[in-house]
Amino acid sequence: MSRAAAIGRRRGFSHALGELLRAFNTNVTSWIGLGIFLTIVLLAILAPVLAPYDPLEQNIVARLKGPSEQFWFGTDVYGRDILSRLLYGARVSLIIGTTATLIAMVVGSAIGILSGYVGGRVDLAIMQLMDVLMSFPTLIMGLMIVAVLGASMGNLIFAIALTAIAPFARIARAPTIAIKQRDYIEACRALGYSDLRIMAVHILPNVMAEIMVMGSLWLATSIRVEASLSFIGLGLKPPTPSWGGMVREGFEVILDNAWLSIFPSLAILLIIFALNMLGDGLRDAVDPKLRGGE
Amino acid sequence: MATAFKVEPAEPVLSVQGLTTSFRVSGDWHAAVRDVSFDLAHNETLALVGESGCGKSMTALSIMGLVPKPAGRITAGRIMFEGSDLVSLDREAMRRIRGNRISMIFQEPMTSLNPVLTVGFQVAEALRYHRAMGGAEADRAALDLLEQVKIPSAARRFKDYPHQFSGGMRQRVMIAIALACRPQVLLADEPTTALDVTIQAEVLALLAELKQAYGMSMVFITHNLGVVAAIADRVAVMYAGEIVEVAAVRELFRRPRHPYTELLLRSIPRVDRHVSHLETIEGQVPSIAAMPAGCRFAPRCPLREARCDAPPPLAGAAHHVVRCWVRSEGGGHG
Amino acid sequence: MAEILLAVERLKKFFTAKRGFPNPETVTVRALDEISFMVKRGEAFGLVGESGCGKSTAGRSILRLVEPDSGRVTYAGEDILAADAARMRVLRQKMQIVFQDPYASLNPRRMIGKALAEPMLVHGLGTPTEIEERVEALLAEVGLPPDSRWRFPHEFSGGQRQRIGIARALTVGPELVVADEPVSALDVSIQSQILLLLRGLQDKHGLSFIFISHDLGVVRWFCQSIAVMYLGRIVEIGPIPGIFDEPLHPYTQMLRRSSPVPDPEIRIEPARFGGEVPSAVNPPAGCHFHTRCPHATDICRQIYPAWREVAPGRGVACHLHGS
Repeated sequence: MSRAAAIGRRRGFSHALGELLRAFNTNVTSWIGLGIFLTIVLLAILAPVLAPYDPLEQNIVARLKGPSEQFWFGTDVYGRDILSRLLYGARVSLIIGTTATLIAMVVGSAIGILSGYVGGRVDLAIMQLMDVLMSFPTLIMGLMIVAVLGASMGNLIFAIALTAIAPFARIARAPTIAIKQRDYIEACRALGYSDLRIMAVHILPNVMAEIMVMGSLWLATSIRVEASLSFIGLGLKPPTPSWGGMVREGFEVILDNAWLSIFPSLAILLIIFALNMLGDGLRDAVDPKLRGGE
Repeated sequence: MATAFKVEPAEPVLSVQGLTTSFRVSGDWHAAVRDVSFDLAHNETLALVGESGCGKSMTALSIMGLVPKPAGRITAGRIMFEGSDLVSLDREAMRRIRGNRISMIFQEPMTSLNPVLTVGFQVAEALRYHRAMGGAEADRAALDLLEQVKIPSAARRFKDYPHQFSGGMRQRVMIAIALACRPQVLLADEPTTALDVTIQAEVLALLAELKQAYGMSMVFITHNLGVVAAIADRVAVMYAGEIVEVAAVRELFRRPRHPYTELLLRSIPRVDRHVSHLETIEGQVPSIAAMPAGCRFAPRCPLREARCDAPPPLAGAAHHVVRCWVRSEGGGHG
Repeated sequence: MAEILLAVERLKKFFTAKRGFPNPETVTVRALDEISFMVKRGEAFGLVGESGCGKSTAGRSILRLVEPDSGRVTYAGEDILAADAARMRVLRQKMQIVFQDPYASLNPRRMIGKALAEPMLVHGLGTPTEIEERVEALLAEVGLPPDSRWRFPHEFSGGQRQRIGIARALTVGPELVVADEPVSALDVSIQSQILLLLRGLQDKHGLSFIFISHDLGVVRWFCQSIAVMYLGRIVEIGPIPGIFDEPLHPYTQMLRRSSPVPDPEIRIEPARFGGEVPSAVNPPAGCHFHTRCPHATDICRQIYPAWREVAPGRGVACHLHGS
């Protein structure tokens, strides 16, 4: 009884999560992806401790030094340590990427579940609106918003989140339509549950796994878009270090001092690669065709 | 019915001997079908009856050489048909028998036909493949078959697609395909379960009629004892992967001997008369990975005794055998 | 005479769908074409017919899980179709549903204990302790071990899941249960367990049932009255012994004769072969059954027969039994 009770105390959500993790367990690449990603997160958190220099401190004497024992990744045109700037830049990328993705996840899933559950004309209208949103390439959309509203962290997050809402709405809507026809949803209606309760308590946990897979893949996209916007000068204003901005700064002297761009580029590449490995692993775990029989 | 009670004619058409088909469940092999033996006489209908998971469908798939690999495999036994053991045949030889000498029809007439090919083409295909018939000749024969299975205005519907047919009509098409090469044996796996009762009655009548016309033998798999009573000459009752009782159809319904058969018969609500007391069988079928060591029905059996802890043999007079220590007394041990 | 618990009058539901490409045409499925019947308190009322006859739509329309197009459903004197959302929440406690597929009718991510407690929490039926006790009592009542509360649906067999589905329907203390093919997906030995359980509940709580089934044998055993449906209409209504011993409508007769009986002495009679079965999308003119009816005459091909009460509680829609 005690064991059964302990298992029993798992709630719906964590049950879904547990299912995901069990399938995830056997997937080596996703563990590597998760490992790399968590390492980057840890480095970003510990940046004040780990960074050998102040990322904003200019040092005219040590301008454009190549990688050395003193400056592992070299210095930039103002003599700032690139390693330190990378560590602090990771914070910017992660905060903007994660916040934007979370907002899109919550808003998008809510729209998708509502749209799929209500159905009919409401569904049609919402989904057509989503199609319009989706028809803008993420970068162009971000560009437009930041150009109009100005480049602040809030606006960047808003811009990136807005482009990601439509895909989340779509991914949440499809399983909702399938689930709402199941008998157990009909039983909920027969038992007099409110629509809000049915959506939040009975449908959401069943689409959670798909949403989380999408989340990990969109986190990569968000980080990439943030870097791209920074690269074309629409990111956070200097001197705040961001990976995209660092690539751009290095771009001006790339022929003679390639490391300025190479190290931030590699950082962007690494995190996107890690998140994609993680996302693919999660997707395989969620895909019922690949999952073992119940 | 022709051979209702004649026991053992000269040579059985199909003889299954000690068939055991096993499946791998989390690393260990377990028998889904254990030591199943039966003979199928010429022009006989043998019903394999039992509840879900009793191994009746897997027995049919074993005969067809269609056990899903690598999760399952035939681990023992012989299946003798036209002088050869089907278990030991290679894939090429098995392919020549399947759909040609032994045919099978399934429960789901909705999914067993290819939706993008015309019904006429699919019937003719069997003839072109197995009989190497030319196009026109195969089409003529196919049309003839569709008329035999009583598809109304078959000529007009020859070029229709499966979705234009109802469930009952699709099952008729499946029967036409199965009979195209005039098989010796037809394996029918719950062929009427998905159909409405009025359609079921028509399809059962059609199968009985075609069996006579073609001189085939039929293994009819079903969970429905009413259907068994309607179509079978002889019945083999299966429980948890084993045959527990075999008898001619009248004998079995009049004098069921295995406690499982008896309880099953008394737990069916009947349409023809009022039943005051409905019997139940407590508990449920054991899982394939946790079979009782002795009689597999013992944990649910009201007649259980101490000796039921040892596995009982299939015993009794030739016309009525039963796998039960308690109920096989009186009959000579085989 | 017993009190009328539920009265259904001229209940109608058509579904429309667009079909075909590239020239889609709108098709209308006449799922329910003005059906009327009454259920007495404490009675099990059978609704039988073959697939596509509208019997499931009938059950769902009565509970307003599907909104009917027109007609009246009166429950204990109250017009259900006119009830607003708040009143409907109260009425839902009186009328519940049990589904056919025990695998689809339970939320796979919901523990049994929670699934059973939830309806009572939502409707505020007791304190948390009382609800806990009630969950335990319900599990015992449907024959499940107490530790089932801590398990998930996939840990149960089909028969056990059906017991859970029944317990869930009982949580709000209903008076009427719509049972939509509750034993059709179950094995024979499990089927009788569930039927006995339902019969026990009927006796103990005075429950009334609308029992939807395609299996005449099951209906004969479980129900006291029966309505036979064909392509969206009721063709015959009557008490159980009468309908089975002396079916009046040719369709009822055909169903009765086609139903298999576990007795080789009684061979079932296949109907005279009648070609393709028509569907509710485009039911035949006149009496819908005339294309398959051995007694069809000219009038059957033109006019739908009027409903005729041949005895108290016994009615039929067939020209053969016209006045």
